Amino acid sequence: MSQREVFLQRVKQAVVEGNRAGAAPPLPERAGVGYQGGGPDPVSRFCQELAAAGGKGYVAADSDAVLHTIQSILQAHNARKILLTCGGLIDRLDLPARLRELSLEVRTTDDVQSDPREDFFSDDVGITNVHRLIAETGSVVLASKPNEPRSASLLPPVHICLADHSQLLSDLFDLFDIFAPTGSSIQSLPPSCLTLITGPSKTGDIELKLVTGVHGPGEIHVIICDG
Amino acid sequence: MSYAQHEHHDFLGASAQALADPTLQQALTRLTDTLLAGNRRGYAALADSSELRDHAKRIKEHSLAHLDQYLEQLEASVLKFGGKVHWAATAEDARRIVVEIAKKANCKHAVKSKSMTSEEIHLNPALEQAGIEVTETDFGEFIIQVAGERPSHLVAPAVHHTRESIARVLSKHLGEQLADDPKSLAMVGRRVLREKFRQADMGITGANFAVAETGTIVLVTNEGNGRLTTTCPRVHVAIMGIEKVIPRFIDLPVFLKLLARGATGQTLSVYTTLITGPRQPGELDGAEEFHLVLLDNGRSKVLATPFRESLQCIRCGACLNACPVYRRIGGHAYGGVYSGPIGSILTPLYDSVAANPHLPHASSLCGACQAACPVKINIPHMLIGLRELQHYHKPSRWERWAYGLWSMVLCRPWAYRWALWAARLLLRRNAQNGWLSQMPGPGAEWTKVRDFPAPAAKSFRERWKELES
Repeated sequence: MSQREVFLQRVKQAVVEGNRAGAAPPLPERAGVGYQGGGPDPVSRFCQELAAAGGKGYVAADSDAVLHTIQSILQAHNARKILLTCGGLIDRLDLPARLRELSLEVRTTDDVQSDPREDFFSDDVGITNVHRLIAETGSVVLASKPNEPRSASLLPPVHICLADHSQLLSDLFDLFDIFAPTGSSIQSLPPSCLTLITGPSKTGDIELKLVTGVHGPGEIHVIICDG
Repeated sequence: MSYAQHEHHDFLGASAQALADPTLQQALTRLTDTLLAGNRRGYAALADSSELRDHAKRIKEHSLAHLDQYLEQLEASVLKFGGKVHWAATAEDARRIVVEIAKKANCKHAVKSKSMTSEEIHLNPALEQAGIEVTETDFGEFIIQVAGERPSHLVAPAVHHTRESIARVLSKHLGEQLADDPKSLAMVGRRVLREKFRQADMGITGANFAVAETGTIVLVTNEGNGRLTTTCPRVHVAIMGIEKVIPRFIDLPVFLKLLARGATGQTLSVYTTLITGPRQPGELDGAEEFHLVLLDNGRSKVLATPFRESLQCIRCGACLNACPVYRRIGGHAYGGVYSGPIGSILTPLYDSVAANPHLPHASSLCGACQAACPVKINIPHMLIGLRELQHYHKPSRWERWAYGLWSMVLCRPWAYRWALWAARLLLRRNAQNGWLSQMPGPGAEWTKVRDFPAPAAKSFRERWKELES
């Protein structure tokens, strides 16, 4: 027998030995248990939860308002090197071109070829699209894709994300209902990396004093486009 | 500080040392008070947290009762996405497997995200021996790695350190004089560890959960080092105990809603990372190789026993924060990798019951651990079970004699009445204001630390007789 078979045989035997009457229950169905929802106003609930976690949410009425918000964040940090992912709202708002007009050093993930690591380590701000937002927890959900690398939301000290109003989910459970390979009509497999971000990077390892930005971005800004 | 550096079986000595250390006492109180308050706040913020915890427990019960099937399903799913699965029956197997992966992929620099499982198998020395540099990247873990110590809390591994001692440890390590304010120390950590991430060719993580249906492993961190560890290096190795597998993707949020709330009171930890296989074609980052190491190391042995419930643990640390014993003696006193109430169960079961005689007794059985646990593990019940095991392993002659006498007296009404009369007479003679502050024989152990209530002047039976007449 291979090592794998011996291993599984041992587990199987232990399962049988340890399964007492009533100790092998069927997989329970959750029904409605634990569903919190996003309340009557999910957008403000999202911003509230995000603020509680140390992030900042903005609601922008149109593309000019989005650009204006980004500009003020960049100015506050005196940011020069900006990394943008591609597709989604970023393309729809023609953001790379509009930021270049402001004479910033702008690169998109389309500009980055084969080994992007060295580049990613030196950016001041990363701007990404989101996959979803979750109102209940104030979380940003990112799904890895060829034009949405994981580094863009991770390596720069400041992360700005752009979301459309329609991407907002009420509850954490709603997100997982999207990716359900079995037992669901929506047959969508999870991406190689699905990331939920709830606030800026934090540590309390030194006398429980909260310090932000120890590994990931020390600031996260979420701009929700309403128009 | 040898207790901080080495695993040991000297529970009493280590506890005494911890109790005599006022700085540690202050740190423990601060940490456990804060986290326990968070735990209560976290549950209270969920409308039906008790039902959700019951639901999570049932998922774990089900998973463990079908563990062989879910492990096979997990393997198939990981393979489908292009990952590799390794079966490690023992800690030694796991170390060998990880070293082999590193050698085969020609890795020289490993970065690690916090993982208790890797602590359990003592991975770092094995990697270093094979010529692979390994760096802990959780800031607390980094501090204790540099200091050559062991974690003293499941989620706050460096709680036994102060800002001054952290500045001292890091200053010595880096050869520069560092200020001791938390912000600048953390930024030094960022600078040093960023360089490690840049160089790293291998990322090692644990897994908080693994989903059989999709082959997804889940990492939860607040700092983001889990993301960096899985994003920068070209090889990713995740090591998980076999009990971490859950059936379906939709079962995950049940645990995610409870894990951070139980641990710190956060709604979610800052970063929840779900990794499904290596990076896909066209992606610019993420590991090119994904390896999942499934570790048994004594778990199947426990699975077959009534202690199976201990395998439901999701390592949130809530029972540590709630425990009146952990709150005073801290993590190093427990001797093993896992501390607190859950450690008092896991260490005897994985290590040896006979070598850890004090751990099952390091509890007042108050039940605070179970009340704080996100999956309501009946820890007190299992501690009593372990005490019973100890008795069968090595019944003491004195104990047998005492229980023999006890049962003899209880079976004979005249002997019982006489014994009560004698005890009352003896004890009341030395009582003052209804309390005894000194007792003879084994009773002295009790009165050394607290008074004993003196018996009433009349027994229940005597009063009953009076009332009847």
